[in-house]
Amino acid sequence: MSGAEWQLVGFSLRMALASLLLILPVGLALAWWLARKNWRGKALVETLISLPLVLPPVVTGLVLLQLFGRRGPVGSWLHSTFNCDVVFTWRAVVIALAAMSLPLFVRAARTAFEEVDVKFEQLARTLGAGEWRVFFTITLPLARRGVLAGTLLAFARALGEFGATIMVAGNIPGRTTTLPVAIYQAVENGEDAHAWTLAGVSAVIAFAAVFISEKLLRRHK
Amino acid sequence: MTDAILTANFRKQFPGGPEIVAEDLRIGGGITVLFGASGSGKTTVLRCLAGLEIPNAGEIKFGNEVWFQKIENILLPPQQRNIGFVPQDYALFPHLTVAGNVGYGLNELPAAERVARVAESLRWLGLDGLEHRLPRELSGGQQQRVALARAVVRRPKLLLLDEPLAALDTPTRLRLRGELRQLLRQLGIPTILVTHDRFEALALGDDVVVLHDGHNVQQGAVPEVFSRPVNLAVAEITAVETILSGHILETRDGLVTVAVGDARLTALAADLPAGACEVCVCIRAEDVILMRADTVQSSPRNRLAATVRSLAREGPLVRVSLDCGFPLTALLTQSACEELRLHEGASMVALVKAPQVHLIPFAR
Amino acid sequence: MKTTILKKFPTGKSLLLAVRFGLVALATANANAAQVTVFAAASLTDSLKQIAADYEKSSGDKIVFNFAASGTLARQIEAGAPADIFFAADETKVDALEKEGLLVGGTWKSLLANALVIVAAPDVTTIHAPADLTNAAIQHIALGDVKSVPAGTYAKAYLEKLSLWPAVERKVVPCENVRAVLAAVESGNVDAGIVYKTDAAISKKVKVAFEVSAADAPKISYPLALVKDSPQPEAAKKFIVYLDSDAATAVFKQFGFIVLSSPPKK
Repeated sequence: MSGAEWQLVGFSLRMALASLLLILPVGLALAWWLARKNWRGKALVETLISLPLVLPPVVTGLVLLQLFGRRGPVGSWLHSTFNCDVVFTWRAVVIALAAMSLPLFVRAARTAFEEVDVKFEQLARTLGAGEWRVFFTITLPLARRGVLAGTLLAFARALGEFGATIMVAGNIPGRTTTLPVAIYQAVENGEDAHAWTLAGVSAVIAFAAVFISEKLLRRHK
Repeated sequence: MTDAILTANFRKQFPGGPEIVAEDLRIGGGITVLFGASGSGKTTVLRCLAGLEIPNAGEIKFGNEVWFQKIENILLPPQQRNIGFVPQDYALFPHLTVAGNVGYGLNELPAAERVARVAESLRWLGLDGLEHRLPRELSGGQQQRVALARAVVRRPKLLLLDEPLAALDTPTRLRLRGELRQLLRQLGIPTILVTHDRFEALALGDDVVVLHDGHNVQQGAVPEVFSRPVNLAVAEITAVETILSGHILETRDGLVTVAVGDARLTALAADLPAGACEVCVCIRAEDVILMRADTVQSSPRNRLAATVRSLAREGPLVRVSLDCGFPLTALLTQSACEELRLHEGASMVALVKAPQVHLIPFAR
Repeated sequence: MKTTILKKFPTGKSLLLAVRFGLVALATANANAAQVTVFAAASLTDSLKQIAADYEKSSGDKIVFNFAASGTLARQIEAGAPADIFFAADETKVDALEKEGLLVGGTWKSLLANALVIVAAPDVTTIHAPADLTNAAIQHIALGDVKSVPAGTYAKAYLEKLSLWPAVERKVVPCENVRAVLAAVESGNVDAGIVYKTDAAISKKVKVAFEVSAADAPKISYPLALVKDSPQPEAAKKFIVYLDSDAATAVFKQFGFIVLSSPPKK
């Protein structure tokens, strides 16, 4: 593998890790709400969160493009307030990866939280623990296996993300070109050896992530 | 009954389920037993007092604090009620050690003080050396004590125990019953304890609240309620047919001789405090055996000459009222009565095993 | 296995079959008038269609088009497709076919050229010259992928010539084709783009900020040639002459092409 190829892998890994920074806080909060609370319209929220799993990734990409483009609601605010662009930059990559992997994480984390018996949380409250403390000292530790499994799955998914990424971040070598995008381009250009090398790296990482994740989920049960 | 420190009037309706009504519930300092059959709503009442269930209507007040008030929308969460709660299965945090569990509620104390308090608690409950064990490595009795230590280490102003002995096997339960009573007395924290076992209620409680079908039907001092049930329902629940006062004559070799009138009864010394004199003697009708002749040797320590006063049929059973120098009630099957040819005025021998003579000291 | 062998044939062969059927069908429709088949580059679609419509009225001949990427068309001609005229967007394609002896020697000439333009969204006012692209305010510039899209290749050559490429390179957002470049500029997600003048004319939502003069621009050429095995050489030659006429060049100019008035190359 050449230096450029290693750089590409490094870039993809960094972007996937960065997307986890977005996914974890949002995902944990959503998973906890879905596991512990009931409210009108809960089914709607569940459906919306699951959509990126089922919609064609390019559709999600399209939605993100509309939101974060310079003329879109979020993009224009970012551009005017911070002179910050999202589309065609690494930020778009992180956002696309986060949007596509969030549902996987929320599903796994929600199941993990649901499997934590509420009696422990209730008892913690009688001992004076506030809700945040209950979450971080009781709920999360008891759910750690499932949450970790979900994180690994989300990471693997983020590394493999293509459709939404190419829509909203384009394919700018060195800046927004991720592993899957590079593989696609290599195949288009007839660079088979290059494509297979990158595909091999992708497969190894994905295999490792899913393997460990499955082990965690199995022992959990 | 001591002055009420907690008053409650509330109702809790589970969707598609029973309705629990606590009417004019008054809990004093000391140990109050919430007593009733399974499904009578005792645990629900306890959990409402703890703040783990929210009533649909009513009010709960602890001293001057309003813990719950539906009309004015006041709800004090459990975190702020300063209570200690021990559920039936103890709910020890499986991912924390014994020390971690016991110290969980003390996180606002500086580390040194927390460690000292935890050590003190563990020592006091005989859990020395177990600091670093995980809950799954402990026996049932040890788990119970850890749960208790965890609940009381914060010095709460109210202790709530849900069937504290139910999760233990019978020999352990009997042994720990005495220990628990001693412990609770030493702690001196107002305690509410849920049980369906009448002897636990008798042994552990100062006051008792009897619950039936989701309603509290009688409350008062234990001997009062048990000997003078206000209605049939309570009588059936408490179901101790013979309650008498007795006087301890002698204690020797783990056995106690109690004088009840002219009769002498043998009971277990078990958990009686030293120096107890006046006791309440309780014998269940089911525990009384009748014999015709008294020539045969038998194991029960208590053999009393008895005269049949009356017989009352109750379905397949017969309730036999006897005079042994004191009133004693026995419960026999119809066929047993026929075999023994029982009739009013018949002379029999009544046998009661020593462990089945329950003694409750009066001096409190 | 038979199926796998068949799969190995290029799609050109199946296209060839389709073209053959289509042409036979059309030929039988009107037996008297000649039918001229023109293989032309996609960017000439709108202009050639209009010119053909005018020609058909005046001459009575029928013009049939096959629009595609120049490379694809060249491959089809190599495979024996019945083309009369090859009108490409790239001289190398025509050169290659001539070397293979597939074109009538000496007849190909570069008919049209195109201009490169820098386009921007209508609200962008800061670009007046290529050097403005190096300003800090310009953060993203869309170009066709310099490796595969001719407009992109030409744009890069132009910027290198002006020594602006090093400064501009890191702002480049590569796009798959010219339409994608236009879309990016229209959406406002890039600050500027470089396309052909004829492409810029298609979009109403971008404005031309700067037009590269013919002198500075790289040589963008649209060569026109007669195919050797043309089924209708006389009619084809007539149409080729028409394409050079005032009427036709007027249409080309209308669409934004630069008409080269130079004599035939060979």
